[in-house]
Amino acid sequence: MSSMYFIALPLLFGFATPLLAKLGKNGIAYVSTLMQTALFFLALSLLLSTNWHVEIISIAPPLGISFVLNKASLFFVLLFTFMMMLFSFYYLGLRKTNPYANEGKFFILINMLLAAAIGLVLSSDIFNIYVFFEIAGVSAYILSAYKKTPKALEAGLKYLITGMMASVFLLLAITMIYIHLGSLNLGVLSQTFETLPYNIKLLISVFLLIGFGFKVEIFPLNFWVTDVYEGSSSLVNALFSSIVVKSYLFVFFHILYLFMPTSEFSSFLIYLGATSMIVAEIVALKQTNLKRVFAYSSLGQIGFIFAVMASENVYALTAAFFIILAHSVAKMMIFLSITSIQREHKSVKIATLKELNSPFITLMMILAMLSLLGIPLLAGFVGKFLALKDFAVTGEFVILGVIVIASLIESVYYFKIAGNLFSNGEKRSKLILTLSQKAVFVTLALVLLLVGTVPFLFSSFINDAAQVMMDSSTYANMLMGVMK
Amino acid sequence: MIETFLTYLNQDSTITAMVNIGSMTLFFIGLFGLLTHRHILRIFISISIMEIAIFLFFIGNTFDKRFTAPILGDGNTAFVAMNDPIPHAMILTAIVIGMAVFALGISFAIEYYKLTGKTDINEMNELGES
Repeated sequence: MSSMYFIALPLLFGFATPLLAKLGKNGIAYVSTLMQTALFFLALSLLLSTNWHVEIISIAPPLGISFVLNKASLFFVLLFTFMMMLFSFYYLGLRKTNPYANEGKFFILINMLLAAAIGLVLSSDIFNIYVFFEIAGVSAYILSAYKKTPKALEAGLKYLITGMMASVFLLLAITMIYIHLGSLNLGVLSQTFETLPYNIKLLISVFLLIGFGFKVEIFPLNFWVTDVYEGSSSLVNALFSSIVVKSYLFVFFHILYLFMPTSEFSSFLIYLGATSMIVAEIVALKQTNLKRVFAYSSLGQIGFIFAVMASENVYALTAAFFIILAHSVAKMMIFLSITSIQREHKSVKIATLKELNSPFITLMMILAMLSLLGIPLLAGFVGKFLALKDFAVTGEFVILGVIVIASLIESVYYFKIAGNLFSNGEKRSKLILTLSQKAVFVTLALVLLLVGTVPFLFSSFINDAAQVMMDSSTYANMLMGVMK
Repeated sequence: MIETFLTYLNQDSTITAMVNIGSMTLFFIGLFGLLTHRHILRIFISISIMEIAIFLFFIGNTFDKRFTAPILGDGNTAFVAMNDPIPHAMILTAIVIGMAVFALGISFAIEYYKLTGKTDINEMNELGES
């Protein structure tokens, strides 16, 4: 079974769209959704068999493009295809009443985004990572500016300028790596990176951090994020928050684990993540726009994941995977709810929620927010508990304190939103959801409950994934073994 | 006099130094433009200059003037005494990507200008806390 399908099929769909246009508007929508569903089940079927799978499209050895599918990357492939599938089912319901103009392009873009996110996770060649980095970027910029209103275009421009800056620094890091080591293969690099002088190692790490820092939305480089979230449609924000950022996070730490320069650098990253978390949560308090509030909440959670992933041990990484799963699911629920609310009420102010007349959406938002807070029996609890336990065991009490305080601040604005949801104001007419949309929400809620109540169903796989991700020597050996 | 100067210029160390200093200067020209100009097109141009500086840095550092182009044919039958083709392939890809992103950015800027008449990024304030 080839791991290439996950990249080739969505890209192929983009190229085949002119042909599919003959099927009519509905044809494209159904084919796209069907393909994404098929990819998800393909990933599920790999769950039982995959241990290590290295695939090389060979040009002439040792040149070639290699993709590695192991348990860690499979976790992300599963997550992305699952999220994209549910997103498409939700959109199928939405387009009955209010479709996007020129839908064909929209489907090309979301499939390109899926292909690029999976490509980022699977590729084991640093220049390929740059290419997928740019493909994901370009499709995200266009999705962000899709509605062509002044707000959307401004968001697109801001996203594009920061994205260009990020790619400049990433390219600089890659060129320096190639000039000094003469290879682009991550397996080779993980073995030879140690031999570099300390200064060069530090310089490359700093350039990598700046390049990826823009994209993983870490503290000093995340000034653009909330504007982009506000300007883009909330439908697209669901993808940004649950797929795009997660793929960049994985790649950044994947590269860093393969050649982490020094332990000081990793503890610097832990503090960076914690700062990012507390700053975002404090700023979120005074926001009145729902999209901005949840954008800041995303920044906070990403900072948390960043700090946990930077702690460089298997237990922390297991926790990080649980948080990523819980956060993706919860943010998908929240942004899809906001999409439904915005279509009905034409406003995204927090005060709008007072007029919301839909017990179903209210229940879903409350569930998602409780999970983000880390209330027991919901998915967010598992990751947060494991992460805090790990920080306590390793003696990082400052970080532990920062995270607890940030969570308290987070709860303040979640309760503000919940208060608006439950207030007895004048209600609008009932918000109507189609059956497929309700099914999507129920599936997401079930995942939250299932991970929260029976985490041991998932923990063996996630623990294996974390161990595989930490194990850089096996990664190098697998790649070099296939290369020979 | 001119002979010695030309020999000096033709030394490997001089070429490397020139490439490094030149590309770094170009990079900082781009960075300076990015930080001082507020017109949206000038910002795109500044970032492009930074990208081009990196291309020059990379090609200059991996190119050896004693070797030929990595193409089989014209009497060359094996990959010996040829320049490394990978940097060239990489930079070609990067140029194409950079061009595409640049074009996309300009198209956004034109659409935005048509709707609002603004070109200054400091005036772009539709978004933000109200």
